[in-house]
Amino acid sequence: MSYQHWLNYLQSAEKNSMISNKLRKVLYKFPDGQQMAEEYNMDTGVVQRRAWRKCKQLMGEPEWEIELGEEPRQLNWAAGNKPNAYGAGGGDADTMSGAEFTLRESNTAPLLTKRITKKNIEWRIRNLPYPIDMYNVRADAEQRAIVVRTNNKKYYKVISVHELDRCGVPPVQANISTHHQFNTLIITYQKPPILCEMEAQVLLLLKDVETETDVDDLLKGLLAK
Amino acid sequence: MGEAEKIEVRDITRIERIGAHSHIRGLGLDDVLEARAVSQGMVGQKDARRAAGVVVQMVREGKIAGRCILLAGEPSTGKTAIAVGMAQALGTETPFTSMSGSEIYSLEMSKTEALSQALRKSIGVRIKEETEIIEGEVVEIQIERPATGTGQKVGKVTLKTTEMETNYDLGNKIIECFMKEKIQAGDVITIDKASGKVNKLGRSFTRARDYDATGAQTRFVQCPEGELQKRKEVVHTVTLHEIDVINSRTHGFLALFSGDTGEIKQEVRDQINNKVLEWREEGKAEINPGVLFIDEVHMLDIECFSYLNRALESDMAPVVVMATNRGITRIRGTNYRSPHGIPIDLLDRMIIIRTVPYTEKEVKEILKIRCEEEDCIMHPDALTILTRIATDTSLRYAIQLITTANLVCRRRKATEVNTEDVKKVYSLFLDENRSSKILKEYQDDYMFSEINELEEETTATGAGGGAKRRVDTGDGDAQPMEH
Repeated sequence: MSYQHWLNYLQSAEKNSMISNKLRKVLYKFPDGQQMAEEYNMDTGVVQRRAWRKCKQLMGEPEWEIELGEEPRQLNWAAGNKPNAYGAGGGDADTMSGAEFTLRESNTAPLLTKRITKKNIEWRIRNLPYPIDMYNVRADAEQRAIVVRTNNKKYYKVISVHELDRCGVPPVQANISTHHQFNTLIITYQKPPILCEMEAQVLLLLKDVETETDVDDLLKGLLAK
Repeated sequence: MGEAEKIEVRDITRIERIGAHSHIRGLGLDDVLEARAVSQGMVGQKDARRAAGVVVQMVREGKIAGRCILLAGEPSTGKTAIAVGMAQALGTETPFTSMSGSEIYSLEMSKTEALSQALRKSIGVRIKEETEIIEGEVVEIQIERPATGTGQKVGKVTLKTTEMETNYDLGNKIIECFMKEKIQAGDVITIDKASGKVNKLGRSFTRARDYDATGAQTRFVQCPEGELQKRKEVVHTVTLHEIDVINSRTHGFLALFSGDTGEIKQEVRDQINNKVLEWREEGKAEINPGVLFIDEVHMLDIECFSYLNRALESDMAPVVVMATNRGITRIRGTNYRSPHGIPIDLLDRMIIIRTVPYTEKEVKEILKIRCEEEDCIMHPDALTILTRIATDTSLRYAIQLITTANLVCRRRKATEVNTEDVKKVYSLFLDENRSSKILKEYQDDYMFSEINELEEETTATGAGGGAKRRVDTGDGDAQPMEH
């Protein structure tokens, strides 16, 4: 029931920070070789995107794994069908570009995204057409995860909740609420107080990190000269 | 969809073809490396096989790098057969690269690049790695090919576990994998997401009654549970060359121009060597050295030989087995003559295994084995005649006659090949001796015979004095001097 371990881990990292478009971007380089990038909204102080880059052994450059927020690859979904659209997907070029892709989920397959708001953690699963009573969303304390099932056995997902792991709390069924609308299943998990406290502590920690001035202003200044 | 089904059917009914060495299943040695007279498709050649057995043992232990073994012997004395036997004896885990000496003369890459790729293809690395795999039962598979027959294929597959079901779009490369593995609905498969490797685990129990007859090796497995995508620690064997290619591809769009097989920079190779050594120290990887077999090694030229001299000294070098049927001949690319067409300094680093001509009894055994391999029933008398033919002409010619005699036999609706069939094909098809004899007799009636004579005259004068123009004598290979 403590987030001290996570806080220490963040503290050990080499941190870089910059501001652009009302977003504060922070890059953490951890001593064990992992990297994490975060984007904070400047108005609310809520983290909007978080991605990890873990060391891989064989397959060349490691890719960014998105933990939180929308995946940018959706934007160039159409580009993936053009032949030789090489490099369009950035780090994902290898699997996504043109005829080069090996395998991908069809675009009608359910897609999970995660979002954090001030009070809640939200997951949206798009492309799920079944009515609300088909779903069975349970908190599994043993797996430290939320398990989504459908009664017709079409969708199954173990969603691990990294935030709760970091402060050492198992997920609780009572905090979960679900909602279904526009082919989308929305799962909302109310943040426990300890998690809010941890986020506040992380923000305090980031306060000490030096931030480069707004990149846009900097660019404007350079262009004016 | 109909089109797709047709393609699948064609692929499945394709018969296994019979190659020149498909009857060989091993070296035919017992536990103490003594050669059995007839075993695993190998006949005779006991000393050579025993020696090859020792080499196999050396490769298995994997401690010694960069040794070179030369298989030398007359044509059709089983050099390639011994190499194939070694490959079989080593099993699928040990990389065995087989190439012909002429393969290095590609226009797309330099000779030394081709050689170093071949050398690196023969070193396997067993790596423990956590990868993302997709494991599920195939519910439905569709592969469509455009009506024109060429162009992009489009594929879709539906996979399920006990809990869920997902549709996937297939890329072109992975479609090939699916076709090769003959994946169909009801199979339980795993797909490695990063490399696109498809692996068939077996058939699902629920589909056990789809067919009345199943092969003995069909395995039935449970439908996987949980999520389709899993992270699993897998151990896979890749070759150093594969790691090279993977890592040179990510150099950005430049890879577009050089392609998969383009030259790989030495820096990349050095980096990978270091990385592999690092993993080995950490216990993440194991090096699994294999064998590079170069057939017709006299076709390599002096540059390749001197490159090999150096490459074999690296501690990442595999065991290299070479085969040649040449005696003392010119080293390609020079005017010097040397035993086997290989420079003395390289020969000095080799151990040489000699193959000897087969005796009549052994020839008979080989022909018998080939008859079995080609599903041909042969009368003992016919076999005796065939053996006679083989000793008089060549073993290869006699093996060709098995196939043709079998066809003739089937034409007269018989099941057993008799002496008449063999005689008939012997008169129908000439062997090399008879053909050249006829050529000598009727030389004048063939086209361009005058020109040939002229050429011979110039050769004679050229060899006699001056040497205005160099014409190949000796082994008869037209080998260009300069490139």
